[in-house]
Amino acid sequence: MTTDSDARRFADDPAGFFGHSYPAMHAVPRRELTELQTAALRLRFTELRDRIAVLRAMADDQGVTALERLDDVAPLLFQHTVYKSYPVSLVTDGRFDRLTRWLDRLTVRDLSAVDVAGCVGVDDWLQALQGQTDLRPVHSSGTTGTMSFLPRTTGEADRMFRTARLGLVPGLDPFAVGTDRYRHVVWPAFRFGGSAIMQFADHLVRHVAGGEQRFHALHPGRMSSDVLFLAGRLHAAQARGDADTLDPGPALRARRAEFDRAQQEMVAGRSAFLARLVERLRGERVLFMGSWSTAYELARQAGEQGLTGIFSPESSVVGGGGAKGVALPDGWQQVIERFTGVPRLRHCYAMSEIMATHMRCAHGRYHIEPSTILFVLDPQDGTVLPRQGVRTGRAAFFDLLADTYWGGFVTGDEVSADWSPCPCGLASPSLGATIERYGDRAGGDDKISCAATESAQRDALDFLTSELV
Amino acid sequence: MTDLAIPAVIRGRIVLDDLTRFDGRGANPSFLAPDPERLLPELPLRDPGALGALQALPFDEIVDYLARLGEHLHPDRNDRLAAALEHSVHWSDMTPPLVRSAYEQLPALFAADTVREVADTAIGIDRLDGWVELTMSDGRTAAIRAMGARAVHIIAGNSPLVAALTIVRNAITRSDAVLKLPSNDPLSALAIARTMIEIAPDHPITRHLSVAYWKGGSAEFERRLYRPTNLEKIVAWGGLASVRHITRYLQPGLELVALDPKRSATVIGAEAFTDASTLADVARRTATDVGALNQLGCLNARVIYAVTGTDAAGLARADRLGQLVHDEIQRLPAAVSTPVRHFDPELRAHLSALRTSPEYYRVVGGSGNEGAVIVSHLSEPVDFHPLLSGRVANIVPVDTPMAALAHVNAYTQTIGVYPEALKRQLREPLALRGAQRLTSLGYAAAGNTALPQDAIEPLRRMVRWIVDETCDPAMVTPLWATAEVPAESTASDAFRRTGNPLYKR
Repeated sequence: MTTDSDARRFADDPAGFFGHSYPAMHAVPRRELTELQTAALRLRFTELRDRIAVLRAMADDQGVTALERLDDVAPLLFQHTVYKSYPVSLVTDGRFDRLTRWLDRLTVRDLSAVDVAGCVGVDDWLQALQGQTDLRPVHSSGTTGTMSFLPRTTGEADRMFRTARLGLVPGLDPFAVGTDRYRHVVWPAFRFGGSAIMQFADHLVRHVAGGEQRFHALHPGRMSSDVLFLAGRLHAAQARGDADTLDPGPALRARRAEFDRAQQEMVAGRSAFLARLVERLRGERVLFMGSWSTAYELARQAGEQGLTGIFSPESSVVGGGGAKGVALPDGWQQVIERFTGVPRLRHCYAMSEIMATHMRCAHGRYHIEPSTILFVLDPQDGTVLPRQGVRTGRAAFFDLLADTYWGGFVTGDEVSADWSPCPCGLASPSLGATIERYGDRAGGDDKISCAATESAQRDALDFLTSELV
Repeated sequence: MTDLAIPAVIRGRIVLDDLTRFDGRGANPSFLAPDPERLLPELPLRDPGALGALQALPFDEIVDYLARLGEHLHPDRNDRLAAALEHSVHWSDMTPPLVRSAYEQLPALFAADTVREVADTAIGIDRLDGWVELTMSDGRTAAIRAMGARAVHIIAGNSPLVAALTIVRNAITRSDAVLKLPSNDPLSALAIARTMIEIAPDHPITRHLSVAYWKGGSAEFERRLYRPTNLEKIVAWGGLASVRHITRYLQPGLELVALDPKRSATVIGAEAFTDASTLADVARRTATDVGALNQLGCLNARVIYAVTGTDAAGLARADRLGQLVHDEIQRLPAAVSTPVRHFDPELRAHLSALRTSPEYYRVVGGSGNEGAVIVSHLSEPVDFHPLLSGRVANIVPVDTPMAALAHVNAYTQTIGVYPEALKRQLREPLALRGAQRLTSLGYAAAGNTALPQDAIEPLRRMVRWIVDETCDPAMVTPLWATAEVPAESTASDAFRRTGNPLYKR
């Protein structure tokens, strides 16, 4: 029997609730897990229903006043489009006061006093929000032409990483006194950024590396959210045939040199980065995290320099979202394995809107964390498919880690879920390795695959450069 | 259900051999059709001289043939069409009442008056029927004739009328057509081709139509078919990707006539809001442009720019128009528009999201498959406007009609405009920015096949324009005699200096 205090501890600190053990989190029998999740979901609903304007409007509209079973939340799962339901001109015309008001309807935080005067771009706006509230808003890669903004707070991000690190770094003991407490983290990307994936860097510094001295980023700068926003608009305009009329605006034009320099340094910096890794981290247990295409590029270059087996075989090499959007040559995995010296690459399924990172097991299945309630929806009518056997449909989630915004979210992903225990030994429900976007025919791939993000950013910079010639 | 066998027709012969299975698009059933590889040797007309019999037909005989064919093309009197209508439910994006209504329009499309008008407006019957002589100012006579060509037609399947129109155009231009069946309408062209075989098996028009299915993008098959030795033209309807795909086969001697993807829009002037009855009329007309053909056509209205003003009163006017348009969409007769078969779940997600942003959008309807109207409260279309389908329109309030111009480009086909005076005022600016067809509001989906399409005249592109020049040396000074020209005239000086025969006279 789940008590209210169990539900509270489970929802607010899942890592602590399961003794900071990844196997324990995934060993909960189905019935018990359903009870815990139902109690935690009711808790979130009760506390958030009348404090988030969009949720309240939706619940009023649907006449939902209480949740009994997990499936009762289905009418209140936000479509992925909710977090980008602002008119794009609010950004392009610099109406950040109105964009703030739009965001205000999605969080329990009061944003009415936030001063965004003087913000000329998304980078500025995010900084203003971070400076004046405890929000750390994350955004999507925006490759569909519009960027999602999600009003996450630092508290939630910390909660997320206390849990995520258990899956990302097997053997990490956050309470150990010695060397097991922290890991060196290798991050072949910009150190800073506003997208959900780029914000991982900050969390890894705090929760895995235990400080900047153990965090190794390829570039010390920031991946500009404004450039990503432009990249998304460019991509959408190209698909529509309107690219010629796209106007990046004076603010972006003024920063062109800065963006260009960062981009060049990023490419030129690879050799020096490799040298630093060899010098500082040879034989170390590390967490290596990045997109597979970046990891491959780095590994290929390392191979050319004869650098192999850099890290300890007990390191964890993690990439997310597969190699989607970028074609990698056959044998790319071996190239990365040879470079890192780590025999098995680790895949994860993650998205900006859901905090948990879902690791793939040895049987090739992504295991759903207990803090994430999985729903599989009928792709046509959106009804919830039964929570048993193998079900293929649209994935939807409720993220119990969210307590200042609404965690219910319908993805654009087609998944095949298995509700039975996995042959790998974990009891948690799992998703098959093949995950596809329903929206692909609309030219969209908004999933956080940093690979797509990087090439999109390059396209945007090329556009910005050629546009000024 | 057992897979339906869909034969091919090769120049009057029905082929049902070497059947192979093809997957239907999306959730549609699979079907059987002859292996395209086996058809390939016979599919193109290898000997262009074989078009001779068609060129010898008097135009009147072509008109009679098509009119007689048209009389047989009614779903109540034609078993082939009746069967196609019955099976269309498996493949068509349209609902059965709309497919039926399209079939009922076939006899009119083939009628003598229609065919004459199409031929005469687009090309000129005399130039199709024989050699038309002109005397040029340099003294030569030129005989010009629009001759047939060999073409592959990759047609759109969103309306059965596309198949019928292609067959009419092929007959008028005395051409040889290989028509690729679309997977969302694999039966209409076939039903017409089989009717042709039944009523006139040996007629040259029957003998110059082939219809077959192959999977679009079968690179090896297409590479071997799309060669200048096999054909002169590819006429391609359809989406950006499929038209782009075909461009890889183009080379000298093989021309693409692209009827490529377009979007359409509406501009409604402030006059619409003069009084309640005018507004009701405008709403009905707008609803027709949105809903006809269930918005499956490129000519359907999607984004509607309305000169409501953008202040609070203006937005209220836009909301009012949105409500009325939505109501009128629901009232459209079933032969024109019905609740749709498939509502795009992605679009539904967008509608649901916009409802959470009442400061910027008002969404009318859209809870089921009945359609919806999104009223923007800022003066900009929704970002996902290319997804608008299933009888969903986006009303954008603007302060002046000129504001719509910024959204018009080469991808814009039809623009319905109200009132007529505004259309007159906007037609050059709209055309210069890319718009191709302006029409009275409410008539976007009621086109006339004799008129230009997508800013070209497809029939003029489907024929080959041949000229026979006759030069009498007494009238046209021959090049071989240029040395005899005395050197006194300036023109002759210029000719001697440059060798350019234009200076000869």
